[in-house]
Amino acid sequence: MKKRWHWLIAMLAVMSLVAAACATDEGVSTTTAAETTETTAAETTETTAAETTETTAAEMDLSGTTVTVFGSESSDEEAGAMQDALDVFAEANGMTIVFTGARDFSDQINAQAAGGNPPDIAIIPQPGKVADFAREGFILPLPDDVLATLEENWDSAWVAFGNVDGVQYGVNNKSDIKSLVWYSPSAFADNGYTIPESWDALKALSAQMVADGNIPWCIGIESGGATGWPFTDWIEDLTLRFEGADYYDQWVAHDIPFSDPAMVAIWEEVLAEWNAPGNVFAIDGSIAATAFGANGQPLADGTCMMHRQASFFSAFLPEGTPTGPDGISVFYFPAGPNGEKPVLGGGTLATAFRDAPEVWAVMQYYASAEYANERQKAQQIRKDGELSGFLSANQNQDLSNYLPLEQEMISIMLDAEVLRFDGSDLMPAAVGAGTFWTEGTSAVNGDKSVADAVAAIDASWP
Amino acid sequence: MTATTTAGRRPLGPRIYGFLRSIPTWVLWILVVLWTIPTFGLLVNSLRTRDAQRTSGWWLAWQDGANGFDFPTLQNYEAVLGAEATGGLANGLLNSASIAIVATIIPIAIAAFAAYAFAWIDFRGREWLFIGTIALLAVPTQVSLIPLLQAYSSGVRMTIPIIEKTVTIIPDMGLAGTIPAVWLTHTGFALPFAIFLLHNYIAGLPKDLFESARIDGADHFKIFWKLVVPLSIPVLAAFAIFQFLWTWNDYLIALTMIGGNRVALPATVVVASLAGEFGLREHLLTAGAFVITVVPLVVFFALQRFFVRGITAGSVKG
Repeated sequence: MKKRWHWLIAMLAVMSLVAAACATDEGVSTTTAAETTETTAAETTETTAAETTETTAAEMDLSGTTVTVFGSESSDEEAGAMQDALDVFAEANGMTIVFTGARDFSDQINAQAAGGNPPDIAIIPQPGKVADFAREGFILPLPDDVLATLEENWDSAWVAFGNVDGVQYGVNNKSDIKSLVWYSPSAFADNGYTIPESWDALKALSAQMVADGNIPWCIGIESGGATGWPFTDWIEDLTLRFEGADYYDQWVAHDIPFSDPAMVAIWEEVLAEWNAPGNVFAIDGSIAATAFGANGQPLADGTCMMHRQASFFSAFLPEGTPTGPDGISVFYFPAGPNGEKPVLGGGTLATAFRDAPEVWAVMQYYASAEYANERQKAQQIRKDGELSGFLSANQNQDLSNYLPLEQEMISIMLDAEVLRFDGSDLMPAAVGAGTFWTEGTSAVNGDKSVADAVAAIDASWP
Repeated sequence: MTATTTAGRRPLGPRIYGFLRSIPTWVLWILVVLWTIPTFGLLVNSLRTRDAQRTSGWWLAWQDGANGFDFPTLQNYEAVLGAEATGGLANGLLNSASIAIVATIIPIAIAAFAAYAFAWIDFRGREWLFIGTIALLAVPTQVSLIPLLQAYSSGVRMTIPIIEKTVTIIPDMGLAGTIPAVWLTHTGFALPFAIFLLHNYIAGLPKDLFESARIDGADHFKIFWKLVVPLSIPVLAAFAIFQFLWTWNDYLIALTMIGGNRVALPATVVVASLAGEFGLREHLLTAGAFVITVVPLVVFFALQRFFVRGITAGSVKG
């Protein structure tokens, strides 16, 4: 009896030691891998240094260094492709770059920064958070050479997302375009529908579809704790169209309240389109209870004709759905009354927490066209050649890495006359990731009038 | 007393009694079924494809074949086991084991000594120290996580006001982002409860045992190892199960203390990350949950034998 207990304890102890040993083993093996590649990398840099004078990375000796990167992209395809792209750079320089993706990134990065254990680089999806970190002194302004690479490769409208009070902190990493309507070109052709060029034409089209016995929209805004965000995207897109970029900026900064009559009118406009009889397909008729990811299936099988969602929606289409002219495609969410063609965008920004040559070398790599190319290639391989879900608005990237549909999205992004970041990501979290979602959902459900909902949001503004 | 009952028909009184007696059993059965339904649904969904999961609820899984989906399929399990992005699940499971096993052994070891001392060693301030220890039960984990992380990453220093001298209370040990940081945190939060639980048990052991042992010339060390530990096996085992399950399933502490160090993340964090941004791969969580659950189940059933024996072994053998 007693012996058995001893055995058991000994066994447990051995197991934990083995586990610990394995954990450290991995660390050791990565460093030795770095060391072994170091020699080859040193040789290659010697030979190619003369040819590639452009990258500062080649000038510096980065071998043996390690950079940790932390971000919100955590699925195997996204985080894996990120790591693949980083490995290309790491191997060329004999260094180690480790990317970790966390689902609770937004909460986690706050804890890490406050706890004094931040990563070297964090890839932040909200410019609002970049601004917070910059003002609290957690992240570092870009040095001149990184800034130069960024400005060389990215349009100033995109670069501006990482700018806080005139100082550049963020390097654009991934770009999303939100002003898109997903549809089936063949279904449109069969019914004789044409792509609408204005919001009024879009409303007329949806009325026509209802008259023809089709369901125009697939809409579902359920997304767990973030339920309601697709609604906020509609509001933002229409605000840009109806009231223009200046109004949008003031609204995001809360110089114009949610209860502004023009804003209330936009809410009413969206809800009128959503609540019109026969206009929307949602599971059990409840928009708020239909998962936003569940819109892919009915769109693909033709239950509904259109779905307004960002570029990353491609990942939610059922497996094997053809895309492009013969499958599911996108058109630009049409212009507003004044004919201006604004684009609502999103994306992630790389920010540096540690001041070291190897960190800035990686930041510079993020700003470069090489990163966009490597990332897209890796992610497309991981998606078996389908839409990768990754887009970059890098101007100098190789567009041939993208499928035609993705190229179309990128051209919409690059041609944008007015580009604005998703407003809810710019607002304080209490509103942008809080009441804007919840009160919007209440208004969609009809639990609250628009007037009550916007008043509640205004009251919650910190 | 009239004996009018026919064979096989019991009198009304005992029948009602029997019926009433069976009610708790039935209630328990209903609860068991109700509690199991979500787990069962999870199991069914873990065998369905992503698009099937998005199209209908698990109770409609039998229609999957007709809808053109594979069912049952192991592709979710393959994706989970083959995951590599967050350090991989195999690595995560090993990390979970090295966290849970050590974070179970350390608090038990400390708490057993402490509980014995609180119960049977008479020292000054014993009561107050015990009350102070138990009062720590009220400290919520969440509020102390970030200060703890700061202590791990950069130590604790205090500046004495008048002489303006900074004293290092805890040196910078660079523990942040490592598994030992998780051990220490789990140990700290487990100790008050462990001491409380073990103290109640150890204090209830018969006094005669200790007196006779002392007469036989045993010191505290010998009494602890030869008497207290063997007699306390049931309570030690009970606490070990709780603590192991708690640390195995822990997400918050591990994620906060380890953060961006992919190599050291436990399986819970790895599986949660599989879902990806916007819940892109949420369908993998079903299979991931089962893979993670296997280990505690194995531990529980493997050790069950020991627990039962520990309880029935009895304290005073003739």
